Amino acid sequence: MATIVDITEEKALEVKNFEFTYASADEPSIKKLNMPIAKNSITALIGPSGCGKTTLLRAFNRMHDLYPGNEYAGEILFKNRNILTSKEDLINLRIQIGMIFQKPTAFPMSIFDNVAYGMKLQGIKNKTELNDRVEKALCDAAIWKEVKDRLKHDANGLSGGQQQRLCIARAIAVEPEVLLFDEPTSALDPISTSGIEELVIELKKKVSIIIVTHNMQQAARVSDYTGFMYLGELIELGYTEEMFVTPKEKLTEEYITGKFG
Amino acid sequence: MSLIIDKIFAHSTKLVAISVLFLVAWIFTVLFQHSMESMQALGFDFVTETKWAPNLEKFGALPAIYGSIVSTFLAMILAVPLAIGVAIFLSELAPAKLKSPVGVSIELLAAIPSVIYGMWGLFYFVPIIRDTFGGIGISMLTAGIVLSIMILPFMAAVTRDAMNTTPDILKESAYALGGTKWDVIKDIVIPYAKAGIIGSFILALGRAIGETMAVTFVMGNVHKISLDLTAPATSIPVTLANEFTEADTDLYYSSLFELSLLLLVISFTIISIAKFYFLRRTRVA
Ligand SMILES: Nc1ncnc2c1ncn2[C@@H]1O[C@H](COP(=O)(O)OP(=O)(O)OP(=O)(O)O)[C@@H](O)[C@H]1O
Ligand SMILES: [Mg+2]
Repeated sequence: MATIVDITEEKALEVKNFEFTYASADEPSIKKLNMPIAKNSITALIGPSGCGKTTLLRAFNRMHDLYPGNEYAGEILFKNRNILTSKEDLINLRIQIGMIFQKPTAFPMSIFDNVAYGMKLQGIKNKTELNDRVEKALCDAAIWKEVKDRLKHDANGLSGGQQQRLCIARAIAVEPEVLLFDEPTSALDPISTSGIEELVIELKKKVSIIIVTHNMQQAARVSDYTGFMYLGELIELGYTEEMFVTPKEKLTEEYITGKFG
Repeated sequence: MSLIIDKIFAHSTKLVAISVLFLVAWIFTVLFQHSMESMQALGFDFVTETKWAPNLEKFGALPAIYGSIVSTFLAMILAVPLAIGVAIFLSELAPAKLKSPVGVSIELLAAIPSVIYGMWGLFYFVPIIRDTFGGIGISMLTAGIVLSIMILPFMAAVTRDAMNTTPDILKESAYALGGTKWDVIKDIVIPYAKAGIIGSFILALGRAIGETMAVTFVMGNVHKISLDLTAPATSIPVTLANEFTEADTDLYYSSLFELSLLLLVISFTIISIAKFYFLRRTRVA
């Protein structure tokens, strides 16, 4: 059985008996997983390659539904409802639960239009509102100063780190409640990485964050809670400070001390 | 030893490359030489004169130029939206089971020799056009339709390939912001693939404007500029295919060469523009 710390604060999400099977797989990639996610805090997901971190993350915004034949079981509770039902309005869910990918994904349009994109999808056309919210999002993503003079330029002209902050600006511009990060710094240099880390910490005032990372130092630096996954199961979820010092599970200890993975 | 082989290899490939250039220059020179007589006799009137009457020594290329442009334009108007539709369906909408059979049949269609489109057009399209729009059925419109059908598969296949190059992660990013399938196609896939799509259109245009066999049967070879699309017409390649064997005077012969030179210049221009787009695409990617 997994060791799961009692989360006393409010929960942003709660995973209950969750199972996930890919269309092409015979066995579930995630098995009977239970996991609470605390509100306005950062939960890091760590574990060896192939343990199911990305798979779990992409269930929170139902990204798996883009490809036919994938199957969910169990529940993920968000605002007191199970978001895994077929009734769930996926467009609305994805507006509330945003996602940042492993590589920067600037759209083939200007910097401004990239950030305004999510708002435009929602039908917001008012120029002043768009301008204000784009500026605010870029400020919150700590990239305003670098791009304010070239908002009309193609976003692909930015550096990798700038593009990743642009993607964060784009995601927070629609004011989500939860943000999912899948190894957001794996394609970045150390300086850009620490920029993104500071940003993530700053963001938790407004949103709840789940961040997948291969880098245990990163998990230790940014997160409040850490979940260790292994072979499609959650082995341990604990306060980050405690888990890296006194893990309760043997597997967790072996992983964080580098015995495997 | 291997150094020598490398050298031989490098030199022989260089030779082949140079001979290709030489071939192009040679074709140009031959066409140019044979056009000289007509150029000297007719001057600029050749491209502005509307009368083509070889027995009266009147050679006006404008009807053929007009026919080439209008039939190609018609073909593009008809084929572009269909090609985009087919490509969107194949790359974004079709279930996996349909994608490859439909995709392969489109590629097969693209491989059909154009003379077959021409014969098919003559026997099936000419009567349909005659019954629906009146006229004799052999017309500019028929040529436009047959051309559009001929270039459609190529355009659809290349457009689909360009759309397929859109990284999944880019599309997912748009879905993750609350985009619908249509939003993603319109805002991400098409802009991302734009250069490739436009390149394929221009190549198709180049093919349509020089196409001979598909339209020779259905256009009529009538040197007359008519706004009525159901009237018979001609184009540069149709004129060439029909009249080379009949050219009985030197001026007639030479003016046909000048027509082909004109076609070559138009095609080269189009291909150069296409190349420009393709080059831009590879630089972005
Ligand atoms: N599209 C897919 N179809 C079938 N199986 C998949 C698919 N994607 C992932 N899997 C399988 O699901 C399991 C979990 O994969 P997942 O990508 O979630 O791992 P991960 O923890 O994110 O690994 P990494 O650290 O390498 O990113 C793996 O065994 C993988 O092979
Ligand atoms: Mg992963």
